[in-house]
Amino acid sequence: MPTYELSVILRQMTRPEIVSTLKRTAETILNNGGIIRKLENLGTRELPHKMSEHGMVHRHGSYFLVQFDSATHLIEDFNEEFGRDVDIVRSSIFKTQNPEFIRCTLHEELLPPAYRKEVIEMMKLAQRKAKPKYRQQSGLDYYPFQK
Amino acid sequence: MSNILKIVLNRAGIVPRHFSTAVAATNTATTPTTPGSDLSDEPVNIRNPYKQERKLCILCRMKIHPDYKNVRLLSQFQSPYTGRIYGRHITGLCKAKHDLVQREIFKSQNSGFMGTYTKSVDFTHDPRLFDPERPMRPHKY
Repeated sequence: MPTYELSVILRQMTRPEIVSTLKRTAETILNNGGIIRKLENLGTRELPHKMSEHGMVHRHGSYFLVQFDSATHLIEDFNEEFGRDVDIVRSSIFKTQNPEFIRCTLHEELLPPAYRKEVIEMMKLAQRKAKPKYRQQSGLDYYPFQK
Repeated sequence: MSNILKIVLNRAGIVPRHFSTAVAATNTATTPTTPGSDLSDEPVNIRNPYKQERKLCILCRMKIHPDYKNVRLLSQFQSPYTGRIYGRHITGLCKAKHDLVQREIFKSQNSGFMGTYTKSVDFTHDPRLFDPERPMRPHKY
């Protein structure tokens, strides 16, 4: 089972209401055979823009993060379930990924165009696609094609 | 450097010019060398002094992996006027990191952490990583 990350924004509520909503969210995952690894509170703050959800306009929200393991085919169901919850303003599930090592290619990108790999490939492609041309030094003293 | 200079001067058979006559006199006395007997003008094995150091983009240099929850980092790559993501010719990131930053910004915006047309007022005075007025490569259009 892969690990996923659920970030939910709950609407502005009292503390017990928030607790019950979080419980409901967690139970949805647990009842479907998921495992909860971590539950994190990211704070209550102003939303970056007003959001209309379930017939209400929200300007403030509580951010929570739930890390859980679950079967891959259940993610769609979770999205539907959390989308229907009136206390959740927005929810999104992403797969957690370990940061992989990336070799920096800035040095190659800053080279003059003629030395850049992509430009060299582009030039090769252009040469391959170019139409065959009659060479004037072919030894014939007349032009063999129609003018 | 002085070693290289000496070797080059020896090879060319030039006596270094000195402005003091006393020094010049002593120098001419020591220089008479017969060609072939001296091994000092053989090629020397040194590192290419003109080889440039490998350039790294700021995220690769600092080993930072952008994450969609780290809004403060991501909004440094966003215009304060339009909320749009700056291009690679302005940010000076390598292609892989720029794509990653862009992906994380979209994720952040979709999950309600970050504005799409606005940049949070809390981040407007953050240190600037680059100058949008002076891109490192000319503008595409």
